[in-house]
Amino acid sequence: MEYYHSPDSIKDALSMAREFDGNFIYFAGGTDVQIYRKQKLEKNEHIIDLKSIHDLNSISIKDEVLSLGAMTPLDDIIKSKEILKFFPVLVEAAKSVATPVIRKTATIGGNLLVRNRCTFYNQSQEWRNGVGSCLRDVGDICQVTGGKNDCFSRNVSDTAAALIALNAEITLINSNGMTQKPIKGIYLPCGIKFHDLDNEIILTQIRVPFSPKKWWYKKLRMRKTLDFTSLTIAATIDNQDIARICLNGVSMTPILIEEPIETLTLESLIKQARKNCKTVDNDLMPLKYRREMINVYLEEFWNSIYI
Amino acid sequence: MTGAIGKPTPYIDAVQKVTGQAMYADDYKFPNMVYVSCLRSTESHAKIKSLELKKAEASPGVVAIVTGKDIPVPFGVLSISRDETAMAIEKVRYQGEIVAAVAAETIEAAEAGVKLINVEYEPLTEFFTPQDSLKTCTPDEQIHAHTKDHKNIHKTAELRFNEPEKELETAKHKQTGNFIFAGVTHGFTEPHSAVAMWNGDETLTIISATQVPHYLQKNLSKVLGLPLHKIQVKKPVLGGGFGGKSDPFPHEMIVSFLSKKIKRPVKCTFSREEVFITHHGRHPTEINMSLSCDDGGKITALDADIIIDGGAYGSFGVVTSYYNGVLLQGPYLIDKFGFRTRRTYTNKHQCGAMRGHGAVNPRYAVETLLDMMAHDMEMDPCDLREKNFLSDHSSTVGEFRITSNGIRDCIAAVRKKSDWDNRYGNLPYGHGLGVACGFFISGSALPILWNRYPQTVVHAKLDFDGRIVMFSGASDIGQGSDTMLVQIAAEELGIPMDFVQVEVSDTKTTPVDLGSYSSRVTFMVGNAAKSAASNIRREMAKAISKEKDTPAENITFKNGRIFTNDKSLDISWEEGVEMAMAGRGAFVESGFYISPKLGGNFKGAGAGLSPSYSFGAFISEVEVNPKTGETNVIKVWGAHDCGKALNPLAVEGQIEGSIHMGLGQTMSEEMRYKNGQQLNANFFDYRIPSSLDTPDMDVTIIESNDPEGPYGAKEAGEGPIHPVLPSIGNAVFDAVGVRMMELPITPDKVLKKIKENA
Amino acid sequence: MEKVTLTVNGFTQSVLVESHETILDTLRNRLNLTGTKKCCDEGTCGSCTILMDGKPVLGCLTPTLRCVGKEILTIEGISSGESLHLVQKHLVKSLGLQCGFCTPGVVMTAIPFLEENPHASRNEIKESLSGNLCRCTGYKKIIDAVENAAEEMRS
Repeated sequence: MEYYHSPDSIKDALSMAREFDGNFIYFAGGTDVQIYRKQKLEKNEHIIDLKSIHDLNSISIKDEVLSLGAMTPLDDIIKSKEILKFFPVLVEAAKSVATPVIRKTATIGGNLLVRNRCTFYNQSQEWRNGVGSCLRDVGDICQVTGGKNDCFSRNVSDTAAALIALNAEITLINSNGMTQKPIKGIYLPCGIKFHDLDNEIILTQIRVPFSPKKWWYKKLRMRKTLDFTSLTIAATIDNQDIARICLNGVSMTPILIEEPIETLTLESLIKQARKNCKTVDNDLMPLKYRREMINVYLEEFWNSIYI
Repeated sequence: MTGAIGKPTPYIDAVQKVTGQAMYADDYKFPNMVYVSCLRSTESHAKIKSLELKKAEASPGVVAIVTGKDIPVPFGVLSISRDETAMAIEKVRYQGEIVAAVAAETIEAAEAGVKLINVEYEPLTEFFTPQDSLKTCTPDEQIHAHTKDHKNIHKTAELRFNEPEKELETAKHKQTGNFIFAGVTHGFTEPHSAVAMWNGDETLTIISATQVPHYLQKNLSKVLGLPLHKIQVKKPVLGGGFGGKSDPFPHEMIVSFLSKKIKRPVKCTFSREEVFITHHGRHPTEINMSLSCDDGGKITALDADIIIDGGAYGSFGVVTSYYNGVLLQGPYLIDKFGFRTRRTYTNKHQCGAMRGHGAVNPRYAVETLLDMMAHDMEMDPCDLREKNFLSDHSSTVGEFRITSNGIRDCIAAVRKKSDWDNRYGNLPYGHGLGVACGFFISGSALPILWNRYPQTVVHAKLDFDGRIVMFSGASDIGQGSDTMLVQIAAEELGIPMDFVQVEVSDTKTTPVDLGSYSSRVTFMVGNAAKSAASNIRREMAKAISKEKDTPAENITFKNGRIFTNDKSLDISWEEGVEMAMAGRGAFVESGFYISPKLGGNFKGAGAGLSPSYSFGAFISEVEVNPKTGETNVIKVWGAHDCGKALNPLAVEGQIEGSIHMGLGQTMSEEMRYKNGQQLNANFFDYRIPSSLDTPDMDVTIIESNDPEGPYGAKEAGEGPIHPVLPSIGNAVFDAVGVRMMELPITPDKVLKKIKENA
Repeated sequence: MEKVTLTVNGFTQSVLVESHETILDTLRNRLNLTGTKKCCDEGTCGSCTILMDGKPVLGCLTPTLRCVGKEILTIEGISSGESLHLVQKHLVKSLGLQCGFCTPGVVMTAIPFLEENPHASRNEIKESLSGNLCRCTGYKKIIDAVENAAEEMRS
């Protein structure tokens, strides 16, 4: 039986997806998925490798609107002088993901759909056999909270934070056709089903509709490389003075606060952020500290826009 | 030194490493080889109720399965601590302990076999902290039946000189601190790996990533019931040890037993997670320490109460218990001195020896207390230390013999290079400098297994091709001991290095060396190599002298030639070789090293006793973000007295590597546990500093020319790490006025302290 | 098992591989090219870095089947012939390696980096190596070596 497939069109990819009836995963860069397979968190057998499909990795900017192929490697985004000129927050976010060599393979689409993480879930099969699996895997309680219903695994996509702050849209294709949606709309506040895309859908394009007049980005992590985020904040202010501040890594979904900068106060910004972030102790950085840093980082952002 | 000694020398095996040709243990393949996968316990402390192998045995490709009962003889690197078996028998003592091992035609078949083994456990009371283990429990609950007083205390080590507690009671200037240190692990890049072969002549050969072929040979003999002379241990090129490969291991027993049983080569290589489970790293430690001094700043007393969390088995732990205390006797003169260390067993991965062995955490404690003392007495921390240094050629209170001692030059060097005098205490808030000193042994004067043999022997062979082969059991673990052997022979015989080659780390062909641990190799193997090579020279000179009628003492060996000053004799190396071999052929000369008799006569006098000690001083510069607590080490200046740098490149490499490892323990590394299970058994979450996290380093080599070291050399492999950690902690104080009493110094801890201080 | 055609170090051959196999395991176990090292097998250390059509990739994260039709270059292929690559030469000279286990990964990361960035600053070199874990050297001499190699490459 052959399990590796490399279609050269979206049509072929979708027909394979239908044929394998859920028993498949798409490979973009594959740098995250490969680890889930090794840890037996991902058990589907067929790989549908999207690398041979044309026209999914182009970068074009027209009238300060960015069209970006979902299969564009993060390294290409970082190297693009044009993206740096008009959308530097996206470059900062891309630069902060993983390591230099991984970034040459990892794609923007893959990072947008990176799976949520938790200390007790992202472990080998043998490890989970020891502590007992959790309700996201095959067990029936959350190992962090002890609860039986909710999973709090965190969304850790740095580029999602940037693209949500940029009010980006994505193009999705499945056998029913093509749709466009704001990126922020696909994420769900659930650690298990963390986006509303069915497994057949292929993310093809990202569109950023404006170049911000101000931006800010910071990622909290222990080391200056590799580590997944403990808190990412990306913020922009557009030409209509709308502020978009997106927090990630501290809840099951990215959290967006979107408001005219005139009416927004630091106090209200912090209050909304703290209220909407469902942060639990599922990261190695202490919970209390991560929550404190939400305040500290937002204050730093706030001070930066008034300089 | 006119030859290779003292010159920056690339490693003789560097080209093979840089081209991928170097063969590490897992690179070896043999015909008809089988692969081992281990079934590991999912319980931390439990009886093995049942173990059902039938399904696994019938699984395709499975060749053999072994369990604890098959290899029941206990072993351990210390003869007083033989408390481990190859696999768990009757009960498991930590999560991840090997319960069974499956050998199969492919690794996939072995792993599939493991999944088919049915095991049932009956949980026992679990002990996860030293505090749990210090309490009394029932005999059934005890982790090891041999511990006393119904507690899980493995060892209590205590020494006391001149009643320090009395002095501390009334001292005018006194500092006390409670310190907590998380456990850290070696983090070498090469996972454990071993291949065993049962040979046709009924001998066993094992190729293993080990720092201690000799101890492995001895333990294999014991465990397998095989005579020593039938066991050959070979250490291949090794990808890092740092003390984590300096024990005999269960998997080595398993592959050897299996190979003998099925008469096929057997390989076992660990996954990264299994490497974390195997651990043998630095003990999590709690220290309560007090220090006093007089009005002039001279230390009067030091007392420490230390608890180290040993995990499930003994390893080097008895030695660690002593080293935690005894290595506080330097680099300062302390007359009233005492410590008590208690090592507890717990149901976690076992701890053992890790670079700096037992002395790193107490060093942090004492250097912090000294810094606190300096602050309170309004003295410069460097000045305070300088008032207290041991002299060279002196003695510590516990009768350590101090010979060469370059500590004053060390501190002067880093003080100058960092511009300490102008900058300490004068940098803006958030920016600081910190200093610390340290000292360490150059090998233990007393071997861990008593016998009448030398601690190391080197053979030098000369043959007609003009080649010198140095035979040594010494284990090059990346520190460059193979290169040292070549440099020494080249130096003694006045020949280019490419005339010298090595045969190393093979218990069949190379004479015993005890192993690469306790920083013994440069001092001991270096001396033995120097002796062996100079014996070759002596023999050659004797023969040439006779043939050429020239007094032997007038003969010089240099630059590939053999000559007298007046050139009445002036021959090539090759001609000299021919003369030396005439009538006798190839010959071998031996060199060995035995430590002089040292130390006191009291119990525990031998711990930390060394023929020579290294010394060092380090200064670190940090920037602290007071809003986030994030601490950036921006530069480290280190000066290490290694006696004589036989290879300055290698010594720099050891100092720089030590800075990196010390930095990791101080800032970001910790073994995190929940209920006996490690939460971060991978390199994502166990955070070793990357190139971006590692500061600029300025390294100075100080040479105090040890009277007994080879060419004056002492150790450089472990000594440099000790001062790194406290220099950073002290720099944080200078930067933001808070004392970090707990490692690692993570941003949340710094921020908490800053807020408490405000 | 599937039969695939792989081109490794300029030599094309047929190999039988499992669908889910990584190129790291294929190189080490089926092609006997053990120069590429397995240190973590999950993308955190860089020891398994190889080149795929000139681009550095992590062998442990790359399915073998993805390598069909590509030119794979490993550490063994970098230095075939008589002379070492300048990066290798300088790593030897400057002691940019001790135990050597991370070294093939460092070489396979540094070479494409310098080819793309011949005028890289020391900081840029340091950053390019931030995915390579070394426990022995503290990175200083590795960076020195790559800097020296860059200088010699430019001259």
